[in-house]
Amino acid sequence: MKAVNTSLAIWTAVVMVFFYLPIAILVGFSFNTSRLNILWEGFTLEWYASIWRDAVLVRALENSLIVAAISTLLSVVLGTTGAWMLYRYRVPAVRLWQTLVFIPMIIPEVIMGVSLLILFVVIQLELGFATIIISHITFCFPFVMVAIEARLAGLDASLEEAAMDLGATPAVAFRKVLVPYLMPAIVSGALMSFTLSLDELIVTYFTASAGTRTLPLEIFGRVKKGLDPTLNAISTVFILATVSVVLISELLKRRSR
Amino acid sequence: MKRIASLAGVFLVAASVLAGCQSAQEPPKEINLFAWSEYVPQGVIDGFTKETGIKVNYEAYASNEEMLAKLVSGAQKYDLIQPSEYTIEALIKENQLLPVDWSKVPNSKNIGSQFKNLPHDPEHKYSVPWMAGSVGIVVNSEKVTEEIDEYDDVFQEKYSGRIVVLDDPREIVSWALGSIGKGPNDVTPETLEQVKPILAKWLPLVKVYDSDSPKTALLNGDVDIGIVWSGEAAILYNENPKFKYVLPKEGAHQFVDSLAIPANAPNPEGAMAFMDYILRPEVSKLISADFPYTNPNVEAQKRLSPEEKNNPASYPPGDPKLEGFRDIGEQAVQIDKIVTDMKAEG
Amino acid sequence: MRTGQTTIAAAASVRQRTPGVTAWLLMAPLFLWVLLFVVAPTLIMLVYSFCERGTLGGVVFKFTLANYAAVFDATYLRIVIRSILFAGLTTAVCLVMGYPVAYHIGRSSEKWRNILLMLVMIPFWTSFLIRTYAWMTILKSEGLLNSLLVQYGLITQPFEMLYTPGAVVLGLVYTFLPFMILPIYTSVEKLDNALVEAAFDLGAGPMRAFSKVIVPMTSPGITAGILLVFVPALGLYAVNDILGGGKVDMIGNIIENQFKGNARNWPFGAALGIALMAAFGIAFWFTGRRQATVQTS
Repeated sequence: MKAVNTSLAIWTAVVMVFFYLPIAILVGFSFNTSRLNILWEGFTLEWYASIWRDAVLVRALENSLIVAAISTLLSVVLGTTGAWMLYRYRVPAVRLWQTLVFIPMIIPEVIMGVSLLILFVVIQLELGFATIIISHITFCFPFVMVAIEARLAGLDASLEEAAMDLGATPAVAFRKVLVPYLMPAIVSGALMSFTLSLDELIVTYFTASAGTRTLPLEIFGRVKKGLDPTLNAISTVFILATVSVVLISELLKRRSR
Repeated sequence: MKRIASLAGVFLVAASVLAGCQSAQEPPKEINLFAWSEYVPQGVIDGFTKETGIKVNYEAYASNEEMLAKLVSGAQKYDLIQPSEYTIEALIKENQLLPVDWSKVPNSKNIGSQFKNLPHDPEHKYSVPWMAGSVGIVVNSEKVTEEIDEYDDVFQEKYSGRIVVLDDPREIVSWALGSIGKGPNDVTPETLEQVKPILAKWLPLVKVYDSDSPKTALLNGDVDIGIVWSGEAAILYNENPKFKYVLPKEGAHQFVDSLAIPANAPNPEGAMAFMDYILRPEVSKLISADFPYTNPNVEAQKRLSPEEKNNPASYPPGDPKLEGFRDIGEQAVQIDKIVTDMKAEG
Repeated sequence: MRTGQTTIAAAASVRQRTPGVTAWLLMAPLFLWVLLFVVAPTLIMLVYSFCERGTLGGVVFKFTLANYAAVFDATYLRIVIRSILFAGLTTAVCLVMGYPVAYHIGRSSEKWRNILLMLVMIPFWTSFLIRTYAWMTILKSEGLLNSLLVQYGLITQPFEMLYTPGAVVLGLVYTFLPFMILPIYTSVEKLDNALVEAAFDLGAGPMRAFSKVIVPMTSPGITAGILLVFVPALGLYAVNDILGGGKVDMIGNIIENQFKGNARNWPFGAALGIALMAAFGIAFWFTGRRQATVQTS
């Protein structure tokens, strides 16, 4: 048992090295004097200074974060209630609905982008944050649903019924019993949604307006001139910021206990 | 009662006249610019806004067809677009562009004569050339020592696995056409049949297909020779002069990216003001500084630094044979299929 | 099929109720969303797939079956098969690499769990392009990995890694591994500690305990992970373009080129997309059908 746990921990560490190897390169190149992100030349902090001059890039990062945060939140709500409802109630043609939910995952991004663009023209929805967020929710919520469904499989029905027997309304039972039970799946779904939304390029191109360009659009546009290390610098700052937020919040949680 | 009605009528007329005046006095103070990513320097946009008070909403795309997709969907109205030559031609054919009123663009006198009246805009009515460039051969002269000046020189057995080319069926087919003495626009079912065996010989030798950043494979040393955009070659040359740019003697594709005004533009006046602004030599020079393509503005060319002028990828010496792409309609579908089939064979 | 059985057993354990008004109201957002933003756009594309090509892109509303006739072509079949092979291989590698990690995270103490989960995701909050270009730096012939291998005398001359199918699979695995780890973690986390220990204590040996007890109990997570990796991997072609040098096309490229390439052949792109969706929709429907039949019998 002990040996198994140790080897699992070692394997996890190996996979983490795999995850962070390119990230280490990315961070390293943020200190590179060469403008082209290809060969190492020398050390500089210049690119960190240039983040503050690059208003367009910072604006794109802001847009990306706004879109990713709202899309994640709404995808989680839509996907969690959706998965629970389809699981708990006898819904007519449930298999059809489940298959339809599956479409955004299989549909090529360009088709999704073009067809949503045409839809927005038909329903006269002006391109902007709303249209990007709608599109992002559409390709994110199926991921949440799949994660929740996997967690629901094998759910002990007595759990919810016991709560109801104790006099809780279904809504309270959902909130007090089910949500905590589903929490790991909700967190997984949220992490996947956030990641997908933050890095999506093609659907976003078709549904964004001039003022709502996101970071991936901006970065892709820069490939031709060479991806300059400012992009690495901004990624590094973003990673550092997230890591510190996570660590600090964990520390606070532990202290409060 | 009657009096009141007539009074109201007078008021209405007066109000509408006033409103009319107001809208005439205040044209919409913004333009929607839909252009290639990173092609319009922020400094140019800021300068224009500062001088005219017209705000520029810059939206970007990465290919002509990507631009067309969004343009024809009608989701957004644009005042200025920046298509390449064959796309301009297609748009003119479909009556999708407004003619430019040259009296409002006096700086158009700065446009070099070889960039006016090109086949895609034969009467020079619809477009203002922004930047021009070519597609040519780039050679790492440390690795490739022999003289390379034809397409066939690139696709030799000895360079197998050392070649990068643009991932663009139309470009690839145009090189094959060039190698049998045809122009890039001699696209017919017969000529396409003729290029098939050539492609079958060439494509297996290619190591990397990359339209976005072919310079990467060359800089990394993973390939030694390639057929790439002149802008990529110029960046490579600036990085290391060992990268030589050669325009094949059979002739090469010259692309001309131009500004044009879509037929449904809400603010064509503002669009023409922008055209005039970027045609000023001192502004045009800023664009050159940002992007190492050939500047079609002769007055701006005079003000370039010697390094800029001497970059052989931006300003190829001699008198190379260059030709733009024409709109080839349905034939593009055939070209696409041929190259897809050939790649799938390999 | 263990996967099927457990899912069924699980589903059977909950009595499904007939929805009341509140339940219908709670379900409404999902149904409306699916109808408006999934079904409606798909119908638009379905209509387009029967139209003729518009000169500037878009379509001309004239009925034709030519686009579907063109879909059934040996070239595209070969490309689809290749895409399926790459996606399948990616899924298999992700499962083998990711399962132990997911298991480890799911069994670790609560304070470590969230930190580990975040550590899995954070690399992917950088730009796909920059990450992939970083892989090029590692894999290229004068790159990090080759110089290390040469330095330690493991190889005598640089080994060609970049622009090979291996590089493509590596890039795909890198991109999708978190999507395997997260759902499996979700299943592992709810394993009963006592049960796991009992399985090990029975002296069955870790391998047997694993395959006989733990894997079946986490099969919903495994199924979800396979779905979340295989399906998106099938459509992703950017990794193939950058790390594989774009030497072969993937089904994703072919479809995208119809909209964003010279051909501007939207109806054909739509037909390819609809055919792909139909194939997978049918496969998905029938795998579920079979489970349902087993369940009622």
